[in-house]
Amino acid sequence: MADKPSDLVQGTLDMLILKTLVRQPMHGYRISVQLEQMSEGVFRLNAGSLFVAFQRLQRAGLIRSEWKATENNRRAKYYALTDQGRKRLNSETREWGRQVAAIARILEAS
Amino acid sequence: MSLLRSIAGGVRSLFRKERVSQELDEELNGFLEMAADEKMSQGMSHKDALRAVRLERGSLDVAKEVVRSAGWESFVETFLQDLRFAARMLRKSPVFTTVAILTLALGIGANTAIFTVINSVLLNTLPVSHPEQLVLLTNPDEQGRAIGFNDGVRDLLTYLEFQDIAQHNAVFSGVLAASSYTSSIPTAIEGSGGSAGATPAEVELVSGSYFSVLDVNPILGRAFTTEVDNPRDANPVAAISYGFWQERFAGARDVIGRKLRVLKTTYTVIGVTPAGFRGETVGANPEIFIPLSMQSEISPGRDYLSRETNPFVKTEWLQVMGRLAPGVSLAQAKAAIDVEFRQMMQAQAAGMSAHDKQQFMTQTLSVTGGSRGASTLRGDFGKPLEILMAVVGLILLIACTNIANILLARTAARQKEVAARVALGASGARLVRQMLTESVLLATIGGLVGLLFAEWAEVSLLRLVSAGSGQVPLDLNPNGKILAFTLGVSVLTGILFGLAPALRAARVELNSVLKAAARGFSGGSLRPGRMPIGKVLVVAQVALSLLLLVVAGLFVRSFRNLSQTNLGYDHDHIVQFDASAVTYGYQRAEVIPLYDQILQRLRAIPGVRGASLSDNGPLRSTDSQDPFTLEGEGEARKDEEVRYDWVGPDFFAATGIPILKGRDIGQQDSGNGQRVGVINETFARQFFPKSNPIGQRVIVRDPAGYFDFVIVGVVVDSKHGSVREKPFPRFYAPFFNPVRNTGPTYATFIVRTFGNPAGVSSSIRSVVKDTAVNLPPVTTVTMDQQLAESLTMDRMIAELAGAFGALAIILVCIGLYGIMAYSVSGRTNEIGIRMALGAQRSNVLWLILKESLVLVLAGVVIGVPIVFAAGKWISSLLFAVKAADPLAIALAAILMFLVGVVACYVPALRGMRVDPMVALRYE
Repeated sequence: MADKPSDLVQGTLDMLILKTLVRQPMHGYRISVQLEQMSEGVFRLNAGSLFVAFQRLQRAGLIRSEWKATENNRRAKYYALTDQGRKRLNSETREWGRQVAAIARILEAS
Repeated sequence: MSLLRSIAGGVRSLFRKERVSQELDEELNGFLEMAADEKMSQGMSHKDALRAVRLERGSLDVAKEVVRSAGWESFVETFLQDLRFAARMLRKSPVFTTVAILTLALGIGANTAIFTVINSVLLNTLPVSHPEQLVLLTNPDEQGRAIGFNDGVRDLLTYLEFQDIAQHNAVFSGVLAASSYTSSIPTAIEGSGGSAGATPAEVELVSGSYFSVLDVNPILGRAFTTEVDNPRDANPVAAISYGFWQERFAGARDVIGRKLRVLKTTYTVIGVTPAGFRGETVGANPEIFIPLSMQSEISPGRDYLSRETNPFVKTEWLQVMGRLAPGVSLAQAKAAIDVEFRQMMQAQAAGMSAHDKQQFMTQTLSVTGGSRGASTLRGDFGKPLEILMAVVGLILLIACTNIANILLARTAARQKEVAARVALGASGARLVRQMLTESVLLATIGGLVGLLFAEWAEVSLLRLVSAGSGQVPLDLNPNGKILAFTLGVSVLTGILFGLAPALRAARVELNSVLKAAARGFSGGSLRPGRMPIGKVLVVAQVALSLLLLVVAGLFVRSFRNLSQTNLGYDHDHIVQFDASAVTYGYQRAEVIPLYDQILQRLRAIPGVRGASLSDNGPLRSTDSQDPFTLEGEGEARKDEEVRYDWVGPDFFAATGIPILKGRDIGQQDSGNGQRVGVINETFARQFFPKSNPIGQRVIVRDPAGYFDFVIVGVVVDSKHGSVREKPFPRFYAPFFNPVRNTGPTYATFIVRTFGNPAGVSSSIRSVVKDTAVNLPPVTTVTMDQQLAESLTMDRMIAELAGAFGALAIILVCIGLYGIMAYSVSGRTNEIGIRMALGAQRSNVLWLILKESLVLVLAGVVIGVPIVFAAGKWISSLLFAVKAADPLAIALAAILMFLVGVVACYVPALRGMRVDPMVALRYE
């Protein structure tokens, strides 16, 4: 059973998607496979939430899309990071790091 | 930035729905295919692979739906869907829809109509730039001219006081003065190429700064400047109103420079004011603006501009407004003007006795916001309009409860539909939203139709308001504010009557409804016949209607009292007309012989019982009032005042006022001899309680000095100014024996007839035409007409309240009928059982009747305290009727009970005809 992405806060999912696009543009399926692989199977998202996230990120100007041909000569929509998206990823990553450190401190203290 | 992108994205989705949907389809399909490919590479078949992917990744359609509804545009889409569905539902039940729309149109339309009038009379600001910067230094509800002294807060200012303030202040960027009333003056256009005689036009005198302070720019020509204020009588220029320009000059472009002959002076037209500009007084309609410096040309023989010799005898007649200088607040202006005015009064009071000075210095100015200007209407109609607004608001509420009840009943019938929606996944909020869309749509359509109704209602209202007194120039065109009001009221109404049914509908229990619906029986929480909300609504309706009925009854009675009050005159045999000899060219010395001659000729008309004249005229709005003393009392009565009137010979015979003691004013009292006077019974009672007033002398101090008269008669009290006035000591002295040869020259002629007073009108007109060739043709008006005119407002309220009361009864009747019908239909089972157990038809009848009467009783009980509370609000408008009149309340309650009985007539019949066998078989 796929983990319901409602466990993943909306903002966190966005951040993860941005991360997968850091090196190169990808299409939707590839992104989902990346997320699954990089999380070693912890996050497996259904199509609905993924594509909602894509729409959201696109409307926020953090990614842009383009129809291109895949390796198998299929037509797919490729998403790429924008400059704004890159900046947002950096700031979100920093913020996430701070939160994680703080939580860890609290947990270790008790 | 992202907001824009979001909006753009949403808009793109809305308008290129097909394309966007296709793309999404393609993308999602591609996604699935790629996932399937991977599975296939592990050895599955294509079909199995796709199935596995779908299981893992979720259904495609659900994904599509999720993505689609994530954007804001889906809200708009569903809203449009709801709208289309609502329209379909309304079409499916045409009877209900029509009835509901008509009811709503009436309710919302009435509200809009009243609000439009209220907006014009009470709320609108002057059509000038930045009206919020304007400040009034005088009383906006005051029109007219007062000569004398009034202590306390000043109503109007004198010309010199205006000039003083205009020159010595640092808080206003400009100060204007305008006469607080317009005068109807014969005006002719010179050189018009026709024999167009002089017809009356409304003239207003204004200062040179008038247009610049108001910041009104003429659409043709130019406005006044302060140059026209000096020297006196030497600036014959005029600005005309847009309406006057269209009417009298036919909108000719060359109007600038044309000449106008106003009374006896020729003015040059130098400007035309914009359309919609009607001066600083709402309800007035000045057609010609003339500089104040030309005042004595407009009213010959009178000087309202010069310094008065006696500071206690000032001519107060001007409205004065100022525009705040930048950065000055109203409070600062008030402080500065207070100081300035006080200094002015100090200067005038120099040399007075201590007592006089103390009284003199009580004068103050009020400084208030002037954005709404002055008004001839606010004082009279302000309160009645507010009351009417409350009344139509109540009517709308009552109508809403009716519709809400009907909708509640229909909700029960729609349970299957609602259950199906819930089963398909609709949330409670979605359901409520959809039902509210229906009701708001209904209300909005009703509101639109109501706008049409409002137009008609406004015209009728205006006609009611201005009955007899000519047009009341109010701007009643629908504008943004009105439309926003109507829309707002419509939406609120829709939510109001739609909320309860919508909430009720959404609370449906799925299982019981679906199962029960199969059997054709609506069970569950919505058992018909119960409907506690419906009953609560009906009780509220009854309470509100009770309130309306009592209020209507009070006003109707008040109006009847007013119109049946004994005025003291023989009012249905009197006809009057006015004459102003000096205005039309007669010399002062000619006036009395002329009027005397007119009277003699009038008395000779067949059918005329008596004729006389008077200075202040019965039921006109002018009066004279001054301090007096009785001979032998010295200065004892320094501060008592008496009202008086200059009347012609045989005045009391001509008016039908009974003489209690002594005699009438006679022909022999004319001339220069000892002046006589007749007092009214209040005067006699207050100042001669034990002695005989006949032969006593009264000394009156008028603005110019003293005069006295000897009492020769005592008459019954009569109403002088209005039907509502309280008795006041009054005397009548001969018009033909004027004081210091400067008596009044303006007179109201009174003719008493044996038969119908209107019958002698044409004879009167020809007599006057023959005798006084210079006077314009007279307009006669019977005293009954005048009486009716002075009661216009009261009649309007009584008629409207009565009509709305009747409407309320009809609405309550319908509402009660609906509830009772529903209740009976739900209790068929119960009735069947009772009858089977031996109940008679009469028992059943009583059962149903009881239910209805209990509802009415509850409504009455709740309504009575509300009536008491409301009564205090309207008591100032009632005449000779107490606001908490027990008779009115009792009658209204009885009427409500009757309605309760009538409303359940048909349901009761149906109930009585129940066949126990049939009822028991079908649930």
